Amino acid sequence: MLEIRDLHAKIGDREILKGLSLTVKPGEVHAIMGPNGAGKSTLSYILAGKEDYDITSGDILLNGKSILELSPNERSVAGLFLAFQYPIEIPGVATMTFLKAALNAHRKAKGEGELSTPDFMKVVKETAAKLNITSDMLKRPVNVGFSGGEKKRAEVMQMALLQPRICILDETDSGLDIDALKVVSEGVNALRSPERSFVVITHYQRLLDHIVPDIVHVLSAGRIVKTGGPELALELEQNGYAAYVDAA
Amino acid sequence: MAHPMRTPAEETLIARFAAEKAALPGTATLITPLRETAFRAFEEVGLPHRRVEDWRYTDLRANLKSIAPAAGPANLDAIRTAKPAVEGDGARRLVVANGTFLADLSDLADLEAGLSIRSLAEDLANGTTSVAHAIGIDPLPAGNTAVELNTAFMTDGVVIEVAEGVVIERPLEIVHLVASATPVSTAVRNFVFVGAGARATVIETVESLDAVAHQSNIVTTLSVGDDAALDHIRLQLEPDTAVSFATVTARIGARATLNTFNAALGAGLARAQVFATFTGREAKGGFRGVTLLSGRRHADTTLVVNHDAEACESRELYKAVVDDSAKSVFQGRIEVPSHAQKTDARMMTASLLLSEDAEAAAKPELEIFADDVQCGHGATCGEIDDDLMFYLLSRGIPEAEAESMLILAFLGEAIDEIDNEAVHDALIHRVEDWLKARQG
Repeated sequence: MLEIRDLHAKIGDREILKGLSLTVKPGEVHAIMGPNGAGKSTLSYILAGKEDYDITSGDILLNGKSILELSPNERSVAGLFLAFQYPIEIPGVATMTFLKAALNAHRKAKGEGELSTPDFMKVVKETAAKLNITSDMLKRPVNVGFSGGEKKRAEVMQMALLQPRICILDETDSGLDIDALKVVSEGVNALRSPERSFVVITHYQRLLDHIVPDIVHVLSAGRIVKTGGPELALELEQNGYAAYVDAA
Repeated sequence: MAHPMRTPAEETLIARFAAEKAALPGTATLITPLRETAFRAFEEVGLPHRRVEDWRYTDLRANLKSIAPAAGPANLDAIRTAKPAVEGDGARRLVVANGTFLADLSDLADLEAGLSIRSLAEDLANGTTSVAHAIGIDPLPAGNTAVELNTAFMTDGVVIEVAEGVVIERPLEIVHLVASATPVSTAVRNFVFVGAGARATVIETVESLDAVAHQSNIVTTLSVGDDAALDHIRLQLEPDTAVSFATVTARIGARATLNTFNAALGAGLARAQVFATFTGREAKGGFRGVTLLSGRRHADTTLVVNHDAEACESRELYKAVVDDSAKSVFQGRIEVPSHAQKTDARMMTASLLLSEDAEAAAKPELEIFADDVQCGHGATCGEIDDDLMFYLLSRGIPEAEAESMLILAFLGEAIDEIDNEAVHDALIHRVEDWLKARQG
């Protein structure tokens, strides 16, 4: 599904990823935990294709094909989805217009025709309802005036609409209270399937109580320094990252 | 005063005025001297250049290379079959073709009670008081070349009068058309008088049917009575070869509301001017516009809002999208004299540059002599935000479509202030067409 091979990346002169390797198989949920500055958000942006980074060596394969040369929109229609840590507000772009453009781009890539407006409205409303997203929110411009929790719910709604093969969740728990965390986690869990994989990037263990991972990695100083089962997250919660920061 | 050297354009203007003035409409006692005075004022200083502050960014001496001859009568069949710029607005269309108001081609049937629509040429010839008053007595911007040349050469236009307390629901649309296979000049002057407590919407569309280098000069004077309300929207849609001067002068009475919007979508060299004065207290003015530029086009928006009365509120918002090696100019000045306490004015201009060679100049100014006021201005100039683009792309939206969405969103803040839905939608469609053309 997703394979990252010995990835080195820098921004300006600063090397942030220093030989990161990771293999995610279909249906698996991987958690990547790590201290601040380990390169967690960099990894998520690089996977999604943000331009600010130089990939100096290594490769990223999605379903066996390198995506390094693909633009962010090509990666998206190839099945990769990034749920942003800080979803962007886009004043002036109506949420529905945005969702329709995204959905139709995906359909077009699959050789399907555009959805009719009633069909589109129906699928959006159904998906939104499951995530407690009100029709008032859908009437607003993209993410504008949304609370932190609303933004994260909107991200999960987009994920549900676009039906990606691999979902990267970047610090999805940040800025969420307990109730919002539950809603978001339930939304994510509802999307778990044998064909869909997740990479859950988080600083804290608490998200993993709700979205239970199969495999937990520790990312420190640009590399995966330890891999284990869910118990690794608990250990980190107790002992902190100090041991791994030193090791890296 | 000795002028350094006449440019070919200046020489043509001088020759044209000498040859044409006798045939231009107007009473000998009032209008002819006005034309003479206006032309002499122009003649004395010539075309403005970059050392004239008001024209610093739009140097006519350098850029107005020649002057086209006056337009002759338009081919009526061409005018009759022209596709309307705005459809579905149900407006009463008032056609001004090649500088002449064509009553026969205008929709003058069943005029609402209290609404009067006339040809300016007739008013000029008759010396009708209201028009003479407006031309001769109301303050026009002093020394403004576009206005002076308009006064000197104006041939016709539409005079709209809405009587006190009358509400005209049906929009009035002045359709400015030029039909000529060779370049011609037109000078049109319109007047809109909205009586106390009356309401109206006036749309102006400015187009030409041939992609040749026409030169249009339109001055529209808006007089909004006490407690009256007027929406004025102008869509400037001329071909890229055209030279376009479009001026609005406005007087806004006590507790009245004027909203004026200018969409500069065409012409290779364009200058849109607004000179507005609050003449009564507690009035409101909205001054907005958008400019779309590509190729080597140049568009200038010049705005002077004089808060000459207490407790008036004005909102100014102008947005420009500039591509290729085009250049946009915004000059906006809000004047608050010492007696205009409690003034509330906010002016904002923003430019979005879509290419390395695109240029935007912004000169917002506040001149405040009162101490109890709330005034502010802002100017921004930037490119499409990378983070916004990345977010849209990351959802699968192709680059060109994402860019168009963001450009439309940028302009939308201004365009969405247009109340008339048909005009709003017509403008959005034009912007969408422009965006499509840009993507090839």
